[in-house]
Amino acid sequence: MGLVDAVELPQPIKFVFNWGRRYSLWVFNFGLACCAIEFIATSMARHDFIRLGVIPFAHGPRQADLLVVSGTLTDKMAPALQRLYQEMPEPKYVISFGSCSNCGGPYWDSYSVTKGVDQIIPVDVYVPGCPPRPEALLNGIMKLQERIGSESLHQRLGNGDRPEPIVVGADA
Amino acid sequence: MDADALRDHLVAELGDAVEPDVAYGTLTVTVDNGDWRRVAELVRQGPDLACNFFDFLCGVDEEAAGIGVVLHVYSIPHRHHVQVRTVVPRDGGHLPTVSDLWAGADWHERETAELFGIGFDGHPNLAKLLLPEEFEGHPLRKEFALLTREAKPWPGAKEPGE
Repeated sequence: MGLVDAVELPQPIKFVFNWGRRYSLWVFNFGLACCAIEFIATSMARHDFIRLGVIPFAHGPRQADLLVVSGTLTDKMAPALQRLYQEMPEPKYVISFGSCSNCGGPYWDSYSVTKGVDQIIPVDVYVPGCPPRPEALLNGIMKLQERIGSESLHQRLGNGDRPEPIVVGADA
Repeated sequence: MDADALRDHLVAELGDAVEPDVAYGTLTVTVDNGDWRRVAELVRQGPDLACNFFDFLCGVDEEAAGIGVVLHVYSIPHRHHVQVRTVVPRDGGHLPTVSDLWAGADWHERETAELFGIGFDGHPNLAKLLLPEEFEGHPLRKEFALLTREAKPWPGAKEPGE
């Protein structure tokens, strides 16, 4: 990417830079099942994640910062998810939304379901639930924004030093 | 036609080749593998049957008896349903395709072929539909082992179907 991942930026510049990034998360919603409906509910008037700067109108993965995998990923679909993830520009974040994308969920013994999207792409935030309520997704997004706000892209991209993923509700 | 009239009509046309059964107002005829295509053509093209709407074609694992194949079609002009059923052997079972009679049967035959391991002769492209290319086995057969189940017992209080 250039300067931001090559060197550690001075703190004031980093603060402004991260402040800009955390409040303009263009989302690419990889909706695969009923969790996608909860995602849509989160984007509508009652929960309204657009007020947090989360913009669900990315034209495609190349314009997106955040990938939300909401639903049941099958082995047949997995290469498409991996490819679309690779098309996203760095820095990119992944929220695994719902039990199916976390670990296979109710389809844990199925012959066709991938048992967790973290097998093929790195996940930043896990939102558990079947399906999780919109509040849980909001919580996951806010936790992710907190992390982006205090993050160093030099550490993340330059050194490849990714922090442990966030699990929504694990600290409650 | 109602189900009983349909039954009488099919028995008159086909004689002993069909074994009719009426349940819940729907006629199901069980036929031999060799009569599958002939019965399908009659059901599709016969002027009194004219089942022009394809509902589904699926497989049923009937264990020792073999793999059942069920074709369900509907007639839009006459408003009646017909199910045609047959049983093919577990090993190397195959049937003639009906995808030229109902275009909708194309994908259903592909799905039945990959999930139950039976063939459809004359199908234009019997490639895998839902499973990945490299998938081995026929997962809707009862003997198909679910690997996760081998590693971890069912955690629920009851088995599915119990």
